[in-house]
Amino acid sequence: MASHDAEHERLQESAGLYVLDALEPAERAAFEAHLRSCEECAAEVRSLRSVAAALPAAAPLVDPPAALRARVMAAATGRQSGSRVVAMTPRPAARTSVFSAGWLSAAALLAISVGLGGYSLSLRQRITGLEADLRDAVARLDRSEQQVAVATRSVASAEARMAVLTAPDLRQVNLAGQTIAPRASGRAFLSRASGLMFTASDLPPLPAGRVYQLWIVTAQAPVSAGLLEVDAGGRVAQRFDTPANLQAPVAIAVTDEPAGGVPAPTGEKYLVGATD
Amino acid sequence: MWVLWAVVSTSETAAADRSALDRMAKGDQEGLGEIYDRHGRLVYSLALRILRDQADAEDVVQEVFSQAWTQASRYDATRGSVLGWLLTLARSRAIDRLRGRKTRLEPAPDDNMLGQIPDTGIPADEQLEWAARAAQVRAALEGLTMLQRVAIELAFYEGLTHAEIAERLELPLGTVKTRIRQGLLKLRDRLADSL
Repeated sequence: MASHDAEHERLQESAGLYVLDALEPAERAAFEAHLRSCEECAAEVRSLRSVAAALPAAAPLVDPPAALRARVMAAATGRQSGSRVVAMTPRPAARTSVFSAGWLSAAALLAISVGLGGYSLSLRQRITGLEADLRDAVARLDRSEQQVAVATRSVASAEARMAVLTAPDLRQVNLAGQTIAPRASGRAFLSRASGLMFTASDLPPLPAGRVYQLWIVTAQAPVSAGLLEVDAGGRVAQRFDTPANLQAPVAIAVTDEPAGGVPAPTGEKYLVGATD
Repeated sequence: MWVLWAVVSTSETAAADRSALDRMAKGDQEGLGEIYDRHGRLVYSLALRILRDQADAEDVVQEVFSQAWTQASRYDATRGSVLGWLLTLARSRAIDRLRGRKTRLEPAPDDNMLGQIPDTGIPADEQLEWAARAAQVRAALEGLTMLQRVAIELAFYEGLTHAEIAERLELPLGTVKTRIRQGLLKLRDRLADSL
């Protein structure tokens, strides 16, 4: 039956996970449905079940504390914990007589070496788990450090803007759109000590190779503050350092200049505002 | 998962277990005491291996025997041995507990484990029989590839699912599936004489 063969091909590998109860629910349901019609897989599952049932034998053998017996009896039969449970059956008589002292010590040695083997096995497995955890932790730490670096940069930038806005010598200048861009407007917060915060809106897009340049106009000459980074909506929000040795500003202006900017304005004025 | 125990448990033990369970079903506490004396240590050892915490392992033992007490009448001898049933209950409860504390820190491995190696209070022949069986299973596990063994142990002792094992070992799902089946088939072949 072709469809059965295809299903068998696809599902037979699941037998191992199935007997260890490790299949995800949907996979388990599909495999159980297959088992009902596939004698080959059903037989394999039966044989692997007995393998899985043997696995507890690999666990190191440890005696429970003596008090556990009374607790188990009390809990199971509904008696108050700690009260004596009567009618305990003594351990079945040990059939030790057939074993010589040599056999006993051999048994003890075997039990100890077997216990140590299991212990080292469990340590190895634990190490594997811890190594995986460590890799996860390192990856998480790396991501966290990157996030911290990003956050630190944005905090620094926010602090610089705050420094401008809270500077004692802060002056606000409103800029009006000129003939070429009547709807544009801008606002500058200028502190000679802490820098210049500049915002603008409705700046029209410029042709390729042209940029907006910001000027602080003094009685002597206009000094470049820098180039504007205009977003797709024509908006700007930027901080600039105050140019060194700045004379008293009389106006702020934005002009259209060649890419890279120029030392002195050459192009059309888009925004102008006097410092009054 | 109880087939092995049905086969390897001596028929004498199996008959005594069934009789004890019959008596438990009628409310006889002696039956429970007898079952605990015979199998409590193995149930505890498995719970301790999975949980690596003595107090948690003791809780699991208590739960397992309480369940055995209340469900004794429903135990179906055709499905396998009493010990196999108890160990299945213990593994299931221990793993539930393990998954429940995922968010907590894993306890350090029990330093006392070496000091708790069985004393001589257990009948020597049972001890030998168990030790021999344990040695066979461990030797068979040692014969697997590292990947096969770790994948099987993560499923059996940690109760991880297919996807969780793949994630832990950073392997594709298909690889984990194949390795686990191959590993169990190899174990089956190596344990063929004792199964």
